Amino acid sequence: MSIAPAQFQPSEYFKPTTVEEAVGLLNRYGASAWPIAGGTDVMVEKNPSIRVLVDVTGLGLDYIVSHEGWITIGAATTIAEVAASPLLRGGPCHILSKAAQELGTPQIRNMATLGGNLCRPSPAADCAPPLLVLDAGLNVVGVTGQRQIGIEHFFKGVNQDALQQAEILTEVLLPPLPPRTGTAFVKKGRVAVADLAIVSVAVCVALKDKSAVEEVRIALASVAPFPTRVRKAEDLMRGKTVTRDLLSAVARQASEEIRPISDIRASAEYRRTLCRVLVEQALEEALDQAG
Amino acid sequence: MPRVTLRVNGAIHEVEVEPHDTLARVLREKLGFTDVKASCEKGECGSCTVLMDGKAVVSCLLLAVKAYGREITTARGLAREGKLHILQEKLIEHDAIQCGYCTPGMLMSAKALLDGNPNPSEDDIRRALSGNICRCTGYQQIVEAIAAAAKAQGIARGTEPKP
Repeated sequence: MSIAPAQFQPSEYFKPTTVEEAVGLLNRYGASAWPIAGGTDVMVEKNPSIRVLVDVTGLGLDYIVSHEGWITIGAATTIAEVAASPLLRGGPCHILSKAAQELGTPQIRNMATLGGNLCRPSPAADCAPPLLVLDAGLNVVGVTGQRQIGIEHFFKGVNQDALQQAEILTEVLLPPLPPRTGTAFVKKGRVAVADLAIVSVAVCVALKDKSAVEEVRIALASVAPFPTRVRKAEDLMRGKTVTRDLLSAVARQASEEIRPISDIRASAEYRRTLCRVLVEQALEEALDQAG
Repeated sequence: MPRVTLRVNGAIHEVEVEPHDTLARVLREKLGFTDVKASCEKGECGSCTVLMDGKAVVSCLLLAVKAYGREITTARGLAREGKLHILQEKLIEHDAIQCGYCTPGMLMSAKALLDGNPNPSEDDIRRALSGNICRCTGYQQIVEAIAAAAKAQGIARGTEPKP
C-alpha cells in the first residue's frame, strides 16, 4: 500500500462519456478516485489523497427539462444555467434560481454545478434549502444500477452525503406542487454578494383555503452541520389558520430547533436571532404568493 | 506527460500538462501569458479570470485539461491590430488602474458582461465585478470606466445617441 503524498497531485485524469463508464472508473480506483465537475470545491480543498480525477462534465448531464409537471435538472448543469433557466422562473421553483443567483461569484457560477453544490455538502450549500422545501428527489447511479434518494436523506454531515463508493449523483427531480403554493428564499451574508450565508432560509407553503395551511416545509443552511429542515416548526403550522402570532411562534420554534455554531462569519446567538427574523420574513413572502 | 491542445486568443498551442495543472499555471508558466495574474489561487480574488467559450471563469480552479477544445481568451487577446479594446482605453482614461494587478481579471469580467448585456446598469456592472477584488479600492473608477465603455460601444453601434 502506498502512502498518499502530502500534495494534491493526482496522476490520472479521465473524462468518460457515459455514466456507466464514470461509475466503472470510480469503482476500479476506489477511494483514491474522486469525481470532479466544476472543480470549485475539489480545486480549493486539493485533497492529497486524490490520485485519480474522474471528470463528470462529459456525461451529458447538463440539462433542465420539464415533463408532466416535473422538472428534471442534470447534476452537471452549471449554477449559472440554473440561475438563468426560464423553466424555473414564475412557479414555486423560482427559489432555486434565486439561490443560484446568489451563490458565489459570476466566475464560480459559470463553473460550479448543481450536483457539486449538493455532493460533499457544505453546511452553507446555497441550493440545498430550496431543494429541501421543494421536496426534490435525487437520482444516483452506482455499479448495481440507479436508485432514488429523497434530498432530506442525502445530507449526512459536514461534507458528508449519502453516496456510496463509486456512486454518482445524476439528476435532481422537482415534483409538481399543489396550485396554491408559495415559496421564498432569503439569504444573509456579511456583504450583499459573493459571500457564504450566515443563515439562509427557504420555505414552501401550500394553502387549503384562504388561510389554512395544508402543507409547509422550512429549511435552513449555515445553522447546523448540514442543510436541514426544522420539523417541529413545520408541525406547529401544518393544518393551522395563519395568524401573525402563529408565524412568530413558528419562527421562534425554528430558531430553537437549529444547531448553529459561532465562526468567522457570525456568532451562534446572532444566527438564532437571524433565523427567527428570516423565517418569519420568508413565511410572509411565501404566503403572499400562495394566497 | 500528456500533451494537450489549447486554443488561446485564437491561436493553437500544444503543451505538456500534468493532470493537476491549473489553466492559470499553464497559461502563465508554460505559455507565457503573464497577463493572467495568480493571487489567491482559491477562486476568490478573480485576478486569474479568463473567458472560456465567452464565459468568465477563474483559471486557478480550472484544470488545464478541462480547457481542451474550448476557446480561451485572456486580456492580451482583447487588443486588435495594435489598437486597445474600448474597455482598456476607458480604464486608462478614467484612471481606473492603480497597481494594475486586478486589471486583467476586471477586464475579462467586464468583457463577459458587455458581450451579454450591452447596456448594463451600474448595479449590473457591480454584480458582474463581484468576483474581482481590487485592493487599491479603485472600484468607483472601474465601474465608471466600464459604463463609459458600454456607452462608447453603443455609439459605435448606433444604438446610443452621439454626445
